[in-house]
Amino acid sequence: MHSPRFLLATSGSICLAVALALAPASARADETCQSPYLPKITGQEEFVYVWTLGVEGLGDGEDKLVTIDARPGSKTYGKVVHTASVGGRFEAHHGGFNDDRSQLWLGGLDTSEIFVFDVRTDPGRPRLVKTIRDFTRASGGVVGPHGIYALPGRLLISGLSNDRDHGGRTALVEYSNEGKHIATHWNPTSDKPFGAARGEVADGYGYDVRVLPRKNVMLSSSFTGWSNYMMDFGKMLQDPEAMKRFGQTVVLWNLHTRQPREVFQVPGAPLEIRWALGPTHDYAFTAAALTSKLWLVHVDRDEKWHATAVADIGDPEQIPLPVDISISADDRLLWVTTFMDGKARAFDISDPFHPRQTYEKEIGRQLNMVSQSWDGARVYFTSSLLANWDKKGDDNEQFLKAYAWNGKELDQAFAVDFNAEKLGRPHLMRFGSASLYR
Amino acid sequence: MTIVAIVRNASIALFALGIAGGGTVMAAVAGDHGSAPRTDRPELSLGRSEQFDFDPPEPGSYSLPIIKDAGDGDVLTADGRSRRLRDVLAGRISLVSFIYTSCADPAACPLASGVLYRIKAVSKQDPLLAENLRLVTFSFDPERDTPTVMASYGKGLAPDVDGAEWIFLTTAGPAALQPILADYGQRVDRKRDPDDPLGPLAHLVRVFLVDRGGRLRNIYSFDQLDPRLVLTDVRTLLLEEAAVAAGK
Repeated sequence: MHSPRFLLATSGSICLAVALALAPASARADETCQSPYLPKITGQEEFVYVWTLGVEGLGDGEDKLVTIDARPGSKTYGKVVHTASVGGRFEAHHGGFNDDRSQLWLGGLDTSEIFVFDVRTDPGRPRLVKTIRDFTRASGGVVGPHGIYALPGRLLISGLSNDRDHGGRTALVEYSNEGKHIATHWNPTSDKPFGAARGEVADGYGYDVRVLPRKNVMLSSSFTGWSNYMMDFGKMLQDPEAMKRFGQTVVLWNLHTRQPREVFQVPGAPLEIRWALGPTHDYAFTAAALTSKLWLVHVDRDEKWHATAVADIGDPEQIPLPVDISISADDRLLWVTTFMDGKARAFDISDPFHPRQTYEKEIGRQLNMVSQSWDGARVYFTSSLLANWDKKGDDNEQFLKAYAWNGKELDQAFAVDFNAEKLGRPHLMRFGSASLYR
Repeated sequence: MTIVAIVRNASIALFALGIAGGGTVMAAVAGDHGSAPRTDRPELSLGRSEQFDFDPPEPGSYSLPIIKDAGDGDVLTADGRSRRLRDVLAGRISLVSFIYTSCADPAACPLASGVLYRIKAVSKQDPLLAENLRLVTFSFDPERDTPTVMASYGKGLAPDVDGAEWIFLTTAGPAALQPILADYGQRVDRKRDPDDPLGPLAHLVRVFLVDRGGRLRNIYSFDQLDPRLVLTDVRTLLLEEAAVAAGK
């Protein structure tokens, strides 16, 4: 078990660090899978922010930030307490807080807008304060702002595509907290490896990016470009050429210089990256969507980094399509969600080289994102993957479901039906709390 | 706050890094960690630590993009003079650290001041740093941290003039302070508990690298305040200046 002191010191380093370190671990409740530079929520999360895709003919049809009350005992517990629409449908998908957590930046994958919400002034009523509409031009051609990750004073945005061929070659883009473009770092490709070892296998694709400051490294993963993620899912599956256009790599970067160090072959679109949180745990997990394999990226005693497939997720032959993973604060449990069968699976990762599934539960007919509280006691799920990839008809359930996890069983605490509420397709979740600012 | 308490809190900065008295710093710079000292980069002798378990890159092997212009405003120096911040920062590469002297959390302000102390110690070994680098400790608690208090705090940390210049700043009050904090993006909140033994203010630990032209070139958090890494950035800016001067 890592020390609480370390976690706080690496998570925003606010002056309250020592006092908070003395609090029991169960008193802290923030998400486990965020930038280490963020201040952490130290009590029960009060709100869950849900970045939601608009659906034509459903409510106002616009993408929107939905705020759900997560305060037990509140009169509105488990209810939608606020929505903020952004004026159209932009393929709402991912986003993240800036480093002082005053803003939540949310990306649109289709036309590359970034919506900046003030979550500090009134955390229960986020307010749209800025829209960045020139991301593609300012970045030199990057399309599809996806992961938005706080670094000190700036945000690191992983793109998904480009404006030349709308394929998967893309870049990491830095913006200041004020919304000004700082730099664009194109992902290595076989013809332009930028000095990365094993650059001959580099494909230039992007998806997630996560840092491990004490080793001065970051990892990026790879998905697919605009031409695929905006295509109808069934049509894409029948298109052999389209199915070739998925990322096959994870890239290790020098965090400080933003230069790629090494490229690893990780076939089948490795998506979310989760660094372990223990102070000596120098490894990360990722899940390859198309091959349904869990991968471990780790460093040996000679400081050589490796990517190793360490477990299957469900039956890979059935293509369960793992789409999100969430690591527990003690590095012992990894939640894996699979879109096709709608299941959440818990893996015991105490031995990271030999993950072992210990639990599974069907959450819905389709399933996507998972977020867990720092103490692991609460787990939240949403249903939507992409507007054109979600299931059709009755299988197109759209929900946020909250569960209590006692180490053995998930017990549902509440659910919000996003179809019935005429909200849309819920995807990314982030936790909010007024306690961060008072 | 008494002068004794101020000096005590300055000392916390040194104890936070286990360098009370500074002897350990000098020993480290002299190569006590087992590696041969590099005269061109004496900071490398500080070696790795559990928190910074890597070797820093070569200076000039990467670029530091401009983040934005550094903020300006009216400040008070430790001898009570009123100046513009931009004028204070002119002429050298600056490392600007926002703190308050009554912060007793060793993971926050004392740590930042301790890192600057280490950097000053290294700069005594390198005339290039001594001539081109300025350290700036800037209080965001003007009500308590008067020029007199900042002077006392500075005496505890920088009793001599050798090495890089180290200056200590405050402001006349919140009206002068807030625009500067906003420009830099330094968040400071009043804690709910005013009697918190760790002090009345909550803040993110941030140190800002400002080039000779008054532009922010990097922002360091607790996780990045490795003197080796910070000085690698300073040397990168010096190489950039040299390249510009040479017309490259």
